[in-house]
Amino acid sequence: MKQSGTTALLQGAVQDLASSVVSDLHGGGHAPPADPAGGPGRDLELAAARVLGADLLMPALLHRAPLTQDRIGLVTGTLDAFPPRPQAAPTVLWSHWAMARAAGLIDVSGAAPEAPDAAWIDGVPWPFLTHQLAVLAPLALPGLECAVTRAARDRTLDVARGFVRAVRRRDWLQAAGAGRWLATLEKVPDTLGLGTGLDFVELMGGSDARVLLQVRAARLLGTGVLV
Amino acid sequence: MTDTRLLHTVGVRAMEWLWAHRDGFRLEPEVDPEIGFLERFKPIGELALVCKVLFREGVAGSRQAELARRLLDHVWRETLDGGRMLVRGQRTEPISPIPFEVYLPFRELGYSRPEVEEAAVLNHRLHSWTAFETTPTRRLGLSAFQRRFGLDPRPPEGEALAATWLARTPEPWTVEGHIAYDVTHAVFHLTDWGESPEGLPPRLADYLAAWLPVWIDDWLDLRRWDLLGELLVVDACLPAPTLDGRAWAAFAAAQRADGAMPAVRETPAADGDELFDLVYHPTLVAAFASALATSRSLTALAQAS
Repeated sequence: MKQSGTTALLQGAVQDLASSVVSDLHGGGHAPPADPAGGPGRDLELAAARVLGADLLMPALLHRAPLTQDRIGLVTGTLDAFPPRPQAAPTVLWSHWAMARAAGLIDVSGAAPEAPDAAWIDGVPWPFLTHQLAVLAPLALPGLECAVTRAARDRTLDVARGFVRAVRRRDWLQAAGAGRWLATLEKVPDTLGLGTGLDFVELMGGSDARVLLQVRAARLLGTGVLV
Repeated sequence: MTDTRLLHTVGVRAMEWLWAHRDGFRLEPEVDPEIGFLERFKPIGELALVCKVLFREGVAGSRQAELARRLLDHVWRETLDGGRMLVRGQRTEPISPIPFEVYLPFRELGYSRPEVEEAAVLNHRLHSWTAFETTPTRRLGLSAFQRRFGLDPRPPEGEALAATWLARTPEPWTVEGHIAYDVTHAVFHLTDWGESPEGLPPRLADYLAAWLPVWIDDWLDLRRWDLLGELLVVDACLPAPTLDGRAWAAFAAAQRADGAMPAVRETPAADGDELFDLVYHPTLVAAFASALATSRSLTALAQAS
């Protein structure tokens, strides 16, 4: 199916932004376009930033990597431009909260608002749990507790099952997100083979910068780095 | 946990279909030697194994048990000619283990053909029987069958098990269809087809308890009923079977009203021997899974009361 022009542009912007975060995670060097006129439009940039959410700030959180004014503006602009409606889906509410919290932690904005309700994830079947956690992979940061990280910890085996399911179904983004959660969790069954599993996900799906970002984050978090 | 009646009904319907299509269990004595006379023995051996499970578990209703007994009598007397066709097969391919594999469950059910036993005892002494190249899972099965027959397994079952995929508990996300069948059959052999769940070493039971739910979920969504049925058997062999409600409901719904279970998706548009060859195996598997799951479900009910 042919994509609409806007969708393709947004996907391209998301890929560029994800690539720049991957680069920053490895010590930087991939600066955003110097000439704003040569980059995507502002609305597109904000929409792309919303897709990546708190992961935009992951290099700053984990490495204290310096933030450009451009990146700070992108984060605050995204938070302002997309305030979630109260009745929005839980993952939307939590994604916004995760970004606000990350911005607060590195003094880009004020303190984060109160965390959303987490009851939606209680007792859900493991495939749905993994899907939701993968969408909320930016919350998988050791040292930063919230109700979602507690839910993941309580159901480590179920998240591991979700990783297997995602790999079997060739859903590399979900697999990478689940793999990142597992990298932050204890008591992951050895038989899962998480390390080679992440390598496999990168080999098969790493041409997507969002997949690559989650795999690289997983490896970094697996080394014991803390926020 | 699934309604016991649903578990049971799948097996009742499967046995009705197998009885109605009993002539499909047939041999082809004039077959091209390149194909081999022994190729058509496999369904008969599988039928005997499943009927044995049915009697052993004691959960069959009187009609189902009667059909199973009549089916066994039919294939033993008519198809195998009182075991003489097994002897003929053995004389056609003297060191083939197939006649022995087919014979063993019949022997355990009280049928007898001494010439097959004599050949098995001799073959067991041959280095060739131990050396002939086959998959590790089948090798494990042959060792288990030798033990059941009363022979010292060659190689010992522990050694045979070590070579299987399951024994090495590999990455669960690498499982493909043919690997999954190796896993199910390794479990069948280790537990004597569900008779001795304790034959599954705890390390492997833990591995399966962790990952089997993913595999069931996967092959359920792919509507591969034959493999799903075997995975449901494995579930029933675990210390704490899940008797997965979603999987069993879909498995039961996939079964045709006359009891035939398609291997994949829907029952194919075929009839006669062609249809039999396409669906006899998943239908046997349905009877097998139903007997074990019904038994486990009743055990759980008894323990709860």
